[in-house]
Amino acid sequence: MTRPVLSVRGLSVRFRMRGGTHVAAVTDARFDLAAGECLALVGESGCGKSVLASALLGLLPENAETAGAALLGDGTDLLTADERTLARTVRGRRVGLVPQSPAAHLTPVRTVRSQLEETLRELAGVRRPDLRKAAAAAAERASFPLGHLDRYPHELSGGLAQRAATALALIGDAPLLLADEPTTGLDRELVDRTVDELRRHVGDDRALLLITHDLAAAERIADRVAVMYASRVVEIAEADAFFGDPGPRHPYARGLLNALPDREFTPIPGMPPELSALPEGCAFAARCHRADTACGTLPALAAPGVACHHPVTAALEAPRA
Amino acid sequence: MLELRSLTAGYDRRAPVVRDVSLTVAPGESVGLLGPSGCGKSTLARVAALLHQPDRGQVVVDGEPARGWRHRAPRAQRTAFGVVFQQPRLSADPRLTLTQLIAEPLRATGRAADVQERVPDLARTVGLGTDLLGRRPHEVSDGQLQRACLARALVLRPRWLICDEMTAMLDASTTAALVAAVEEYRAESGAGLLAVGHDRVLLERWCERTVEWGELVGAAQGAAERPAAK
Amino acid sequence: MAETRTTAGAGTTADTGTVWRPVAGRSVAGSRKASRSTRAWRVWSSAAIVVAVVLAVLIVPPLADLDEQAVHLADKLLPPSLEHPFGTDDVGRDLLLRCVYGLRVSLLVGVVAAVVATVIGTAVGALAASAGGWVDRVVMRLVDVFSSVPHLLLGIFIVAMFRPGVWPVVISVALTHWLSTARIVRAEVLSLRSRPYVDAAISGGASRWRVTVRHLLPGVLPQAGLAAVLMVPHAIWHESALSFLGLGLPTHQASLGTLVQGARSSLLAGDWWPTLFPGLFIIVPTLAIAGLAGAWRDRINPRRRSELML
Repeated sequence: MTRPVLSVRGLSVRFRMRGGTHVAAVTDARFDLAAGECLALVGESGCGKSVLASALLGLLPENAETAGAALLGDGTDLLTADERTLARTVRGRRVGLVPQSPAAHLTPVRTVRSQLEETLRELAGVRRPDLRKAAAAAAERASFPLGHLDRYPHELSGGLAQRAATALALIGDAPLLLADEPTTGLDRELVDRTVDELRRHVGDDRALLLITHDLAAAERIADRVAVMYASRVVEIAEADAFFGDPGPRHPYARGLLNALPDREFTPIPGMPPELSALPEGCAFAARCHRADTACGTLPALAAPGVACHHPVTAALEAPRA
Repeated sequence: MLELRSLTAGYDRRAPVVRDVSLTVAPGESVGLLGPSGCGKSTLARVAALLHQPDRGQVVVDGEPARGWRHRAPRAQRTAFGVVFQQPRLSADPRLTLTQLIAEPLRATGRAADVQERVPDLARTVGLGTDLLGRRPHEVSDGQLQRACLARALVLRPRWLICDEMTAMLDASTTAALVAAVEEYRAESGAGLLAVGHDRVLLERWCERTVEWGELVGAAQGAAERPAAK
Repeated sequence: MAETRTTAGAGTTADTGTVWRPVAGRSVAGSRKASRSTRAWRVWSSAAIVVAVVLAVLIVPPLADLDEQAVHLADKLLPPSLEHPFGTDDVGRDLLLRCVYGLRVSLLVGVVAAVVATVIGTAVGALAASAGGWVDRVVMRLVDVFSSVPHLLLGIFIVAMFRPGVWPVVISVALTHWLSTARIVRAEVLSLRSRPYVDAAISGGASRWRVTVRHLLPGVLPQAGLAAVLMVPHAIWHESALSFLGLGLPTHQASLGTLVQGARSSLLAGDWWPTLFPGLFIIVPTLAIAGLAGAWRDRINPRRRSELML
């Protein structure tokens, strides 16, 4: 068996706040990501999923502390690698980032072509005479129209800016692609197209970690789904089983899915707890109709991939037509 | 009745983003306006809420044609609208606590006395815990802040609600909760709703009637092109 | 509290006792971290100097009970000694005392001028931005015209219209320094004004006045305040320059500018102290004030929200 492209083992991140308190943003995340696989990490804003992405890229602010490990296929630990290693051999080369707001990610004062060429020179070592051709090829790979190569980022629509950013992310041929909310603010058609393209780029030899709050996007391309709630991964499941039969087994994940407008469209009662004041036991217990005294202790993410003392077993109601 | 009559609007007179669009929302009706991003539907929403002056056309609110926009609109006419925007972070004054944020329209209209009674009430309606009310925007999540923004839009009991991509940044559960809060208010007050967005599944589930941006524009352009072609 | 949570997690998962590693020293933040101690040192030394200066100008004159104007021709141009740490000037006045008095006047001129300039600049900038249209265009063109005239020239012109004294200098400095504040405030207000929260306020029935006072100005004040503090050193230099040219304060009144000016002839004769000490009194406090202002600017930069990336 080949080694996973990314192996996250007990990854935790907390922030030191003024007054010596801590905010637990990610607690004990564990998952593997194999080549050819797409894992969608879903959860609401503030659950810690973006912090997890920042940790994998070595972009945490200086008041952060980490624990655990995030190993790449060759054994590099993303959490302990120094800045030099990250900058020279990891970012772009082994981990490609598809950013949340491409318009802000692109340099506003330079054309798409010049940004592609610079990245090609830096990451792929392409020499000057071949740059033009290579830039066109890189653009084509992300379906970025060649006629728009000489435009500046602000002259691009949201969809095209996203493709330009994707083209940049793909240049280093990184085995791991990390997409942090790549579809925020895009309309449904563009969301579908963007995630389809991402899926296509994964192919057989790369892996994609898609971080999103958009369950429909996750359903469209993910092989597996990890649900994050109040800093913890509470369920990891095969996407087919999660979105279809038998459905999510963690009550929170099930509630999230049932809140979709093409399902029951009913919200989960209450609100998530503060990351600075998490309860001792299950963080979802206060909102959960299945909770009892057992939920006062923290449930482990057990073998079937659910961190719950009373997982749901009934089949999920199918979405409306 | 909220009538938008042949509106042309934009930020540059030579290149309007909304061209000759008409739309009517009956009292108590909920209309979903569907369109791709960047099509001009947000501009139309701002014109409808009297927040942006159109180049041409008319907005008629409950039989009364709008004569001014933004500050020039009479206060009673402006406050007939409750508006909620896409990005809660930009829609909230970063210096105000959530209580102050929700109470701001009451204070601005000289009804500070009602703050004590209305704010906790509304916080409950939108599902905001009282422990959050003393916080400032950067201390709460997007979803919590958007709940506060909805409460602010409801605090003056508007007859019309304009929701511009209200839930585009939010997770499924918060989306369902905010829509439920809007519908609860509408059921009790009889307010009309214009919900602008790009999510067909959502708007079709939420609203009694949905309108395609393409149809609105197409109809107008078709009508305009016919005499030109003659 | 966070600790108990961590151990609770340890009980249920494979690891026992989480080992936390600080991130600092490796990310982009690492390079900033390195300069942190230097920065802290700069802030604290600046603060110490500013406090010392304020105490000196407030306490020394009444306590010393000495006449800084007293002329002792017998003691003229004495080099620094224990009795006169800064030496004496060409008519035998103690330079340390003169410098403290001079600093007092210069600081007064600087602070008052900066405050007046900031008030004018904020009012004009906010007015131009919130009125918009032709008012904005006319006001900002006037600002451009004023800015195109060299400050010192304009200052000289204004001072020339009055008798020499403190207030003409204050007016001259204030009237030449509000322009940049007006620009900063206008730009800030314009950017804030297009925020959806202003739309929401209008829809909530807020009047134009209320929107400006409650939602726009508070957002601008940190910038304007920073501009004001940064302006104090500038104003002190300006006062010194005017006085040095003989257009500011009357020569018998000690200000840092008049002190340097009065020392010119001594300097040519090789006596360095009457120039050096007032010169240092101009440079050191102004650098300290600018240092504090820089720290403040770092604080109000919107970087703080990213501390917690949630």
